[in-house]
Amino acid sequence: MSKQVQADIPDLLFQEAQEYVNQGGASDLSDLIVEALRRFLDTHAPEIEEQFIREDVEWGLNGRG
Amino acid sequence: MDGAEESSTVVCDSGPLIHLDELGKADLINDFRRVYLPESVLREVKRIRPAALSVVKFESVDRSEIDLRPVDSLRVLYSLHEGEVEAIAIAMGGKAGILLCDDMAARLAATSVSIEVHGTIGVLIRAIRRNLLTKNEVVQLLKSIPSRTTLHVRRALLESVIRDVEK
Repeated sequence: MSKQVQADIPDLLFQEAQEYVNQGGASDLSDLIVEALRRFLDTHAPEIEEQFIREDVEWGLNGRG
Repeated sequence: MDGAEESSTVVCDSGPLIHLDELGKADLINDFRRVYLPESVLREVKRIRPAALSVVKFESVDRSEIDLRPVDSLRVLYSLHEGEVEAIAIAMGGKAGILLCDDMAARLAATSVSIEVHGTIGVLIRAIRRNLLTKNEVVQLLKSIPSRTTLHVRRALLESVIRDVEK
């Protein structure tokens, strides 16, 4: 199952993405956007954010430097 | 600052500079012993938040001075922006002990090569330890992050941080 979304993409970014697809890097623009979204969500997972913020709090309150 | 503890040399990505300036507190960065801004970061801040540069005392680092090769694989793996790549490379080269950065992917990349990284929230809270701001002032600033800045932090997490600081 999938959902359709509408998004505004800056011209240059769109051209770059289209070029990537044209070179065979992804089967189509939709595939590329899904992969980009998945990678973004992987690196921005709530537990990662929480870990970094907790480290900031600990350093801020009790760290050095 | 009472001078009891030496501050670190840092290399700064654009995020903390912009977010602290949005809070009117970019001057907190001046408490670090030395602040390096990579060329691409400088260019980005000039474009997005030029006022921040008039507050912060920094040394810019030309791209030609930075050995970017050690960051090549990280750049691809974490889809890093140029400023992030340059900042991580400067830290990897040993010029700075701490990277200031708010981007999660860049923080992950830096952590993977054992670079100490902290963000806007860390710098704000550090101001209590360094006697630059009171606990109450920092709590008020933390509370205003969603309305005054472009830094995105989940509400529940921010509330939890505020409770920790208030203890």
